[in-house]
Amino acid sequence: MKKYETVIGLEVHIELATKSKIFCSCSAEFGGEQNDHVCPACCGMPGMLPVTNKRVVDLGMTAGMMLNCEINRTTTFDKKNYYYPDLPCSYQTTQWFAPICVNGKVRIQTSKGEKDIRIKQIHMEEDAGKLVHDDWTDTSLVDYNRTSVPLIEIVSQPDFSSAEEVVAYLERLRSLLRFAKVSQCRMEQGSMRCDVNLSIREEGETKLGVRTEMKNMNSISAITRAIEYEVARHIDALENGTEELVQETRRWDDVKGKSYAMRSKETAGDYRYFPDPNVMPIVIDDEWFDSIKASLPEFPEVKKARFIDELGLSEYDADLITQSRAFCDCFEAAYKECGEAKEVANWLISDCMNMLNKKGSTMDQLKVDGTALGKLIKLVMESKVTRGNAKKILLVMDEETIDPEKYATENNFIVSNDTANIEKVIKEIVAADPKSVADYKGGKEKALMALFGKCMKTLKGNCDPQVLRKILLEEIDKA
Amino acid sequence: MKLYLTKSDCAMTNAVALDDMFLTKAMPTTAGSKMLDGYMSLFDAEVVTKLTEAGYEIAGKANVGEMAVDLLGETSYEGAVTDDNGTLLSASAEIAKEAKAVLCFDVNGAPRRAAAVSDLVFVKPTYGTVSRFGTVSSACSGETVGVMAKTVADAKAVLTAIAGHDDKDGTSLSDAQCEKILTTEKAVKKVAVAKSITASADDSVKADIEVAKKILSDNGVEVAEIDDEILTKAKAAWNILMSAELCNNVSRFDGVKYGYRSENYTTIEELYTNSRTEAFGELLKTMIIYGSDVLSTDNYMSFYDKAMRIRRVIAEKFAEIFTEYDAVMLPASSKKAFTKADTDANMYLAFDENLYTAPATITGLPAVVGGGVQLIGKAFSDSALMDAVKTIKEGK
Amino acid sequence: MERETLMLLEKFDQLSLTEEQRDAFLKFYDKQLEEKKALDAVDTENVERMVHVMPIMTVVREDEAKKIYSREDLQKGAPATSEGYWQVPRLVE
Repeated sequence: MKKYETVIGLEVHIELATKSKIFCSCSAEFGGEQNDHVCPACCGMPGMLPVTNKRVVDLGMTAGMMLNCEINRTTTFDKKNYYYPDLPCSYQTTQWFAPICVNGKVRIQTSKGEKDIRIKQIHMEEDAGKLVHDDWTDTSLVDYNRTSVPLIEIVSQPDFSSAEEVVAYLERLRSLLRFAKVSQCRMEQGSMRCDVNLSIREEGETKLGVRTEMKNMNSISAITRAIEYEVARHIDALENGTEELVQETRRWDDVKGKSYAMRSKETAGDYRYFPDPNVMPIVIDDEWFDSIKASLPEFPEVKKARFIDELGLSEYDADLITQSRAFCDCFEAAYKECGEAKEVANWLISDCMNMLNKKGSTMDQLKVDGTALGKLIKLVMESKVTRGNAKKILLVMDEETIDPEKYATENNFIVSNDTANIEKVIKEIVAADPKSVADYKGGKEKALMALFGKCMKTLKGNCDPQVLRKILLEEIDKA
Repeated sequence: MKLYLTKSDCAMTNAVALDDMFLTKAMPTTAGSKMLDGYMSLFDAEVVTKLTEAGYEIAGKANVGEMAVDLLGETSYEGAVTDDNGTLLSASAEIAKEAKAVLCFDVNGAPRRAAAVSDLVFVKPTYGTVSRFGTVSSACSGETVGVMAKTVADAKAVLTAIAGHDDKDGTSLSDAQCEKILTTEKAVKKVAVAKSITASADDSVKADIEVAKKILSDNGVEVAEIDDEILTKAKAAWNILMSAELCNNVSRFDGVKYGYRSENYTTIEELYTNSRTEAFGELLKTMIIYGSDVLSTDNYMSFYDKAMRIRRVIAEKFAEIFTEYDAVMLPASSKKAFTKADTDANMYLAFDENLYTAPATITGLPAVVGGGVQLIGKAFSDSALMDAVKTIKEGK
Repeated sequence: MERETLMLLEKFDQLSLTEEQRDAFLKFYDKQLEEKKALDAVDTENVERMVHVMPIMTVVREDEAKKIYSREDLQKGAPATSEGYWQVPRLVE
């Protein structure tokens, strides 16, 4: 068998984290009841005119800067024409002639080392709606909620030679863009989708082979399997003449593990692009450009190194926290408030993670305010609130904005210094349970824990455990 | 044959009618197309809101040619309006004779032609000074909301009510810019007559130009003929841009979301094709197909891109003319009357008549028709043009 | 223009012309080609294309979501709906 090499280029669509759609004011939130986030504009009715959402341009620029692109200081919108029921105006407003970003690069790390993937361009555009197929009536049903939700499309050069590189790139994109709050990049919700352009050629050959495109792949594992399948199919066709390769769009069926030629959705592929007369050119002046530049986050690996070197976090802790921008922000604010990096890291990694896991939320969905967390940690360190009660307060902090100290006071979570009361409670409990006292004196450590627990419960936890332990031991001695 | 789709009392002193390109909540909006038969908008056009706020009564709607791109409204699915001799009448013009004014959507010069053949006034203001929000778009880059009336004073009064910035229209200019069209900063003192365009019109039309020249001269205005060779190219260039933009704008009318749906389909392609084929008239179909041809990959550079460059050449030519002159005078149509027989013989007449109207359309410059002539001025000189047309009308 | 080209354009534009209309279109098209020659005669090599007639830039709005219209109202004039969806013939991928 001859030696072949794979050439892959990617087009990655990412839904931007905006409140409203790109050209109208409908909600851009994911989901919702069918056709609930729609207006005359996004269901293709006459009379509405597009007015560009500034945040889309902000995020487009942010993405470009995160991916080392040049920003086109004058960027324009164009119309792309084709008929399909999920496209209510029968045209998509996109960028063809002057996209917002060009010439970027992303460094990836694979088992073979580091490699730069070149970005050809990033353009802003509107998403299409969604179709549901109804088997009962044999019809298709159209939902325009997603219509005009803002997207960026990141077009790479054909620089990938394996599925591993593709996966490394997608994970890198996801990490950078989540960090910069450009998008949640949730593949399972379709806010990150990927078109894979793939061809095979003999090693040493400079001309590209026949290219097939697989559209709208939305999981890393499906992308890997699809690439592996396509490579095998292409090689089989070239080696054994099993089929004639044609340039086409294919659909990946992840259940069957096969790709199929799609019936051409968009007629003839001539999209008749032309400049949109209704959307004025966007000119990015220095002030705008600089404000976005200044808002960029540290890259996650830079943050991680700083957390380790300057704040003394372990490699493991720093790595985990820098998986998520929300965790980083919370960490830094909490550290600023209480000055205890390791302690904050513990709270995030054990307590916050547990809490999110129970809720089925992602790390980026952490809502705990960092400064408040810092205050809470201070309360614990000053023995004003027990750790157990602090955990309860943390749960509240993920639901609403509260001042931990005020909340603790109002809800009787402040550790009582009323030793008289503590002594009274302990005396009663010790007197009522001579068996446990005897057991402890007989060497059973567990018996002490039982007495301790009873006291704590009666005191509703509002007692410094050290103080409680000391008095309890004294009372047992006396008994 | 229908003049009005809905009608109240046009004789009221404050009655303003709309041609049927303006969306209204209270009345159907059809854009002259079977595609939108009975279509009810969920919102009013911005100009309708502004008129109401200014105390005008919306008298009703005037029939309009399909998507307002024909000669005089003859392609409306309601049929052409003619007099007993078969002369084409514009529904807007007929209503304008009764009402205070009619708002018209000037895409392909139809309201300017209508004003010319009906001896009315039509003001096509500077592009961007009147909101297009709530109009059924045909050719966005040149289409403009204008006012048809019996007198310059009425047209200006209504224009005053509708001009102004609108956040909902991304091409809308600032209030300060919009207000400029209502006051005469510099009166028209020097007029250039477009030589070859004028020469190509009928004798009766040329005679009107001669009369206007004399009246202006008598009023101390200097009149000279200029070489207008470049301006004649606006016609072919606008025909390209307009057809392409129209093709794109009406592609949303596909029988899926609202409007006409054919009964004859099983697949989505049949639904699209049969709905559009059954609902659109032949002129519109011609323009759609021509429009998609000029945008096709093979033709884009030589047609559409070329036309956009020609647009700049024409705009620069006007700028050069306006360093010396205050206005360009030319006819608004080749004839003083068109018959149904004319459009039956050549349904594309509007494409030819664009010789007279496209120069102002393609550049977005203000144009005022009245007294048998059309005056084009630089951006925001609308008021000065209106003054000059008033002088011509009064001198007749 | 070839008749086949015209038929492809019809397909693209979701229209179907009669043979008579095709004849008329082809004549119309020839005339447009003739008239376009006037444009070709102008050297536009160094002329920037003019998309917008008014030189205004950067018309943007703030990112605020609003809900004004109900689904019921938006679907009032719909030819076919089902459970809040617009309904079309089944699409095959």
